[in-house]
Amino acid sequence: MTTAERTGTFAFTPEHDDLRAMVRAFLADRSPEAEVRRLMETPAGYDPTVWSVMAQQLGLQGLFVPERFGGVGAGFVELQIVCEEMGRALLCAPFLSSAVLATAALLTSDDAAACERYLPGMADGSTIATLAVTEAGRSGYAGSWVADDVTVQAVPDGDGYRLTGEKVFVLDAVVADLVLVVARTEAGPGLFAATGGERAAMTTLDATRQQGRITFDGTEAALVGIDGGAAAPLAAALDIGAAALAAEQAGGARRVLEMAVEYAKVREQFGRPIGSYQAIKHKCADMLLEVESSTSAAYAAGWAIDDGSDEIGVLASLAKAYCSEAYHHCAAENIQVHGGIGFTWEHPAHLYFKRATSTEILLGSPRHHRELLAQRLGF
Amino acid sequence: MLDEATFSAELRAFLAEHHPGPTPRGPTKLPFLRAWQATLTDAGWVAPAWPRRWGGMELPPHLQVVYHRELMLARTPVPPTNAVGIVGPTILTNGTDAQRERYLRPMLRADELWCQGFSEPEAGSDLAALRTRAVLDGDRYRVTGRKVWTSNAAVARRMLLLARTGTLESRSRGITCLVLDMHAPGVTVTPLRDMTGGAFFAEVAFDDVEVPVEDRIGAHDEGWGCARVTLGHERSTSLTASAVRYQRVVRDLIDLARERGRLSSPATRQELARLVTGARLLELNGRRVLGQVLQGQAPGPVSSISRLQHGAFEQRLHETAMTLLGADGMLGADQRDGRWVRGFLRTRASTIGAGTAEIQRTTIAEKVLGLPSEGEERQ
Repeated sequence: MTTAERTGTFAFTPEHDDLRAMVRAFLADRSPEAEVRRLMETPAGYDPTVWSVMAQQLGLQGLFVPERFGGVGAGFVELQIVCEEMGRALLCAPFLSSAVLATAALLTSDDAAACERYLPGMADGSTIATLAVTEAGRSGYAGSWVADDVTVQAVPDGDGYRLTGEKVFVLDAVVADLVLVVARTEAGPGLFAATGGERAAMTTLDATRQQGRITFDGTEAALVGIDGGAAAPLAAALDIGAAALAAEQAGGARRVLEMAVEYAKVREQFGRPIGSYQAIKHKCADMLLEVESSTSAAYAAGWAIDDGSDEIGVLASLAKAYCSEAYHHCAAENIQVHGGIGFTWEHPAHLYFKRATSTEILLGSPRHHRELLAQRLGF
Repeated sequence: MLDEATFSAELRAFLAEHHPGPTPRGPTKLPFLRAWQATLTDAGWVAPAWPRRWGGMELPPHLQVVYHRELMLARTPVPPTNAVGIVGPTILTNGTDAQRERYLRPMLRADELWCQGFSEPEAGSDLAALRTRAVLDGDRYRVTGRKVWTSNAAVARRMLLLARTGTLESRSRGITCLVLDMHAPGVTVTPLRDMTGGAFFAEVAFDDVEVPVEDRIGAHDEGWGCARVTLGHERSTSLTASAVRYQRVVRDLIDLARERGRLSSPATRQELARLVTGARLLELNGRRVLGQVLQGQAPGPVSSISRLQHGAFEQRLHETAMTLLGADGMLGADQRDGRWVRGFLRTRASTIGAGTAEIQRTTIAEKVLGLPSEGEERQ
């Protein structure tokens, strides 16, 4: 039964609210703006102590990892709540790469041995993992998330494989202990686990999330899942990633709306708060519409994932496309409402604007996801 | 609690047996709709949110959604009454038992059609500025003035009227709610031809029209609050249903694009994917409101944006349809795909009626986001 036909409704439970409050309080304490600004200038780009507390005391990295693989075994909606809060706080940490994308890639690979081997360390925070899909591209079109587009080669060697080629735009490439690489064998695209490869940071627009280049030159790797069988599980993992990223975007969008409204209430021009002018009011009302719709879209995808619905792909693409543009628009409007102060380096508005821009492209642009949506709906 | 599947099966069976077929156009339309409404009413399939005592079904909200969904899926005729909306709930909530006894059943059966006498030439968005005067004269009110944009006035037997009983300055505190007999001496209805060419609305003039005091709803001078009630979850369940209906309309539009050979155009595909998204978001937002309400939480800000969102969506949908019609968009509404041209014209009102989009944005900014008012009282 599709979600459209279901009459079920969704709402957050008190447990969801508790989780949200707990994560929000933790991030307010451990990832205030000053920390974000400090970490975004460091090479590692995250605070290992905070990372360890997140895993050991709060269980965040293992939230979506089943208990048999050392995780908490919570629902995906719980993971989205965490991502939403992280997006709100602009947390600098390899969470999306390790706890979402790499975790999802292992889980969808259906390779129990690989899950047993890697997931416990990822869940307890001792292993940082990332997913390497995108490449510079053959015809100048960089950054494709489609398995069939990969060119990195995997050649059998003894019990394992050796990888050759280059991945770019890899999240947290420099700090990752484990890289799950989509590479091609004669059988087609497969998923491989590697710990080596030469890493180099890429200078990113959004300094709060690191990306890098990984060069493989006969690098040792182990097959995860079926040789040549990565396309479908990768697509499923990317749907999970898109739904999580959409929640992060919804969180960021809500935060910039709050910033704009707070400022509009206190900033006075021509003798009255700028928020009393309709031009500002109408901007804020439109932002609210986008923020609420983003929340609905992101969590609809999340609930579909938790329900094992047949609409996961449709809703994940819908959410990623919508939340990307909504966040971008809200982040831009936040700068506009702030006027000159919003254009300064010292004001956090640009940090959100850059995160919005970067996440809009990450995992596929809105245009890409709308095309996927069309295909998934059969038109 | 009644089981959803059983309920849905019963309703489906009823509709399959009694569906009157497509609604005719022209003079036979209204009798056709009234006959259908009487069939539904006599079988107990109307007013899902109303108490049983007054002819309703008294369904819990989740079954109200099922009810609306099944009617939508069966493509049943649109009810000719506005019993569900403002008029019915006003009498249910604020009427006396004698008034409920007298008015509700004929209203539900569409034996007596009602209209709403709210807007005036000088009171559109600013409804509390209305001037139509009702003077208490012994056991009756004498009504003089003019209403405009009154839907169904030409066929309505009764009007739910808001009239000025206090001073103009008293604004919303000096308004009384009356039930006015449209056949009473002194009532003149002049059809108001709108931009679609139709005359769905009318102007209604009152020249010393007598209304017995027992036809007053609620107390003297307290009509403003009376006529602003909605019933239980009726609004959120019916909005959710209309969002589901829009998904069907979007599918029809995709079919139109297919028939006209436009589905291979990337720009068309993107736009259709946006409309799919818009229709789903209306539904998802509606479900979130309902979910919150069902858990005993306040409906929250998401409920306030739905009308704004509906209006914008309807317009965009029909603008896209017009581009798909191509040169046929220059033709009148009597062409093969004329429904889209009619809708294109009709939906200009979607951002005007029952509060313009601008008023809604201002209200959202002030009531939900807490931005300061411009000083003028607005209600």
